[in-house]
Amino acid sequence: METLSAETWDTVICGTGLSQSLLALALSRSKKRILHLDANDFYGEHEAALSLQEADAWAHAHAGGDVTHQLDNKPASTNNGNEDIASDGDKFLTAPVLSGKESTLFRNAHVRKHHNAEAQGLSFPRAYSLALAPQIIYTQSKLLSQLVSSKAYRQVEFLAVGSFFVYGTTDAASGTILARIPSSREDVFSAQSIPARSKRALMKFLKFVIDYDSDEHKLVWQARADEPLSEFLIEHFKLDERLQNSTLALTLTLDGKVTVKDGLVTIHRHLTSIGLFGSGFCAVYPKWGGTSEIAQVGCRAGAVGGSTYMLDTPVSMGEADHGGNISLKLSNEVSIRTTTLISSQQTCSTTSPSISRVVAVINSPLQSLFEILAEGAPTPAVAVVAFPSGSLPNNSQSGSDVPVYAFVHSSETGECPSGQSVVYLTMQAAPQSPHVLDMALTALLQAATTTADILYKLYYEQATSSRQPLVTSQGSATVFELPSPSLGLAFDDENLVAVKEAWKIVMKDEALDDAFMKFEDREGMGDDDDDVYD
Amino acid sequence: MASRAGPAAGRGMNTRFAQFKLVLLGESAVGKSSIVLRFVKDQFDSYRESTIGAAFLTQTISLDENTTVKFEIWDTAGQERYKSLAPMYYRNANCAVVVYDITQSSSLDKAKAWVKELQRQANENIIIALAGNKLDLVSEQPDKRAVPTAEAEAYANEAGLLFFETSAKTAENVQELFTAIAKKLPLDQVGPRHTRPGQRPGGVNLGPAEGRDTQAGGPCSC
Repeated sequence: METLSAETWDTVICGTGLSQSLLALALSRSKKRILHLDANDFYGEHEAALSLQEADAWAHAHAGGDVTHQLDNKPASTNNGNEDIASDGDKFLTAPVLSGKESTLFRNAHVRKHHNAEAQGLSFPRAYSLALAPQIIYTQSKLLSQLVSSKAYRQVEFLAVGSFFVYGTTDAASGTILARIPSSREDVFSAQSIPARSKRALMKFLKFVIDYDSDEHKLVWQARADEPLSEFLIEHFKLDERLQNSTLALTLTLDGKVTVKDGLVTIHRHLTSIGLFGSGFCAVYPKWGGTSEIAQVGCRAGAVGGSTYMLDTPVSMGEADHGGNISLKLSNEVSIRTTTLISSQQTCSTTSPSISRVVAVINSPLQSLFEILAEGAPTPAVAVVAFPSGSLPNNSQSGSDVPVYAFVHSSETGECPSGQSVVYLTMQAAPQSPHVLDMALTALLQAATTTADILYKLYYEQATSSRQPLVTSQGSATVFELPSPSLGLAFDDENLVAVKEAWKIVMKDEALDDAFMKFEDREGMGDDDDDVYD
Repeated sequence: MASRAGPAAGRGMNTRFAQFKLVLLGESAVGKSSIVLRFVKDQFDSYRESTIGAAFLTQTISLDENTTVKFEIWDTAGQERYKSLAPMYYRNANCAVVVYDITQSSSLDKAKAWVKELQRQANENIIIALAGNKLDLVSEQPDKRAVPTAEAEAYANEAGLLFFETSAKTAENVQELFTAIAKKLPLDQVGPRHTRPGQRPGGVNLGPAEGRDTQAGGPCSC
């Protein structure tokens, strides 16, 4: 341990969440002296993928309902980016934990296991890899282009996100169904369930969205940019209720109140992402736990580049250093010095709503949801099911008029054994959300298969920090706090902006804009034919 | 990149191509990187510096006319002090080579500890090979041997491991080691990480050459 304190690190990165790990990747060829720490004994922090054993322990650690008690000695106005952490630091009675085992962003976690889970098919705990943040990645996302330009994509297996379904009631006789959302013109043409008049209306809308940014179309929507999209869809495009629900579902918004502007942007992203890397899908999902896997790839790149990695090591701010460096205290009492400290914000934003999630292991492959969508298209491993506001019984009565989304993952994701599937449900948090999510899960299983049991279920709530990075200086040193993961269902490219800012801070005047995340293959990693040793 | 799809396609429809993640573990200076260097590049360097952090490389072997196995090899630093890297290498690994030095009996103890950790933490069906390296040293001077073959072999049998004594220097048993692993891997299973991305249903290729063909060809690439 001696050597840790012997040198002044160019940067200490706290936490191995996606953003910090992408930073590790970005810095992996920089020759900087980097110490990368995590308080947990697993990689991924808020975006980890957990075995059942790890999930049990994680739920136990995050079972508490009161998130604020751990923040008591934090200054009240942490959203103010101009505050000087050094002067605040003096006020702390106990050292603030920069990166602890129990995240303050998660709460009310609990696990429920089927009373006869093993007999019903539950496999050994490590056969599962449950993602805490199962975000899909639109093919247009800059995350993918950065993974390609940094050559890190070679170590990730990307799977296709296939159908988007809307749950709804058809009529009293046929009951409830999962209707696949048509998302291309060909799709609309061939959809037999849509009446001809509605088809024309939908076509008109799709054409409009593809070109929403043109001057001509801007005239139509810009004046109404902040109005609800649903009203715009009725008034301007005469979409019937079902098509409205389908259209709103594509926005993946959790509050059910998407504006015209945000809605057009996200639907445009959806439509223009289709076909980018192959036919029949608009988004991808990394095998083995989604963004968790990308985080690990980032850390591996950091390790190959010579960074030092320490798991299971909580960190707190140490005594001020006279040389203008930041001093940190590791859980093993070792003190270290660094000129830059990168961590992720642990303080919940009071303004943004939190979300409720259920992760459920199902003993059925739910095959009907993973249809191949176009000739030559890959078999999808992820299906999206939207439950529009009010589509679930009791939902509107209980005052929670918000949609629920389910991501259904096949065993191809490596998250469960074959013959099973994992369902991730998300909605805006409310007192009744555990009940609503349960209802959605039951409804989904009834609609998708004849028999299925829930073998294992993890419930939790997740909050988010301020969406802006916090930058503070301590002498000549800099503390940069990345925003916590966004609560969106799709990866948000805004995260990459903060990662690049952090990269610039560490690189100082060596930071060349064009060089960010652009690397050649390391020797031995490229073509099969010229494998050479590094 | 263009060569990626080439060879497999040239061998007709019955070719099998499987890709597996392999991790090397063991005490510092037992010769992990040297074994990999011999396997991948057929070279040896007596004065090799310690691996920092980790190294990643790939090597492809043909088991028979129709079967090609590609190893993604993660070579870890034996010196890694904080025991924090190995978990991210053996996560989802299909196979592991645990190396010890037959002239240092303590290195076998360390190898046993790694085997234990793998059996506790890695994939339940991971294939583990135990490799006693530096066979060349005892061929020259038999009294240098500190771990009798029979002892290590008995342990390997008991723990369910493949076992080889190797020499990265003379290449003895290095190819054999990796071939034995390849033969034991579940090649016929269409499952996790087994086939090359982009060639199996489900996989999406983001690679510049093939992945964007549809793009380059415009809306109609026919």
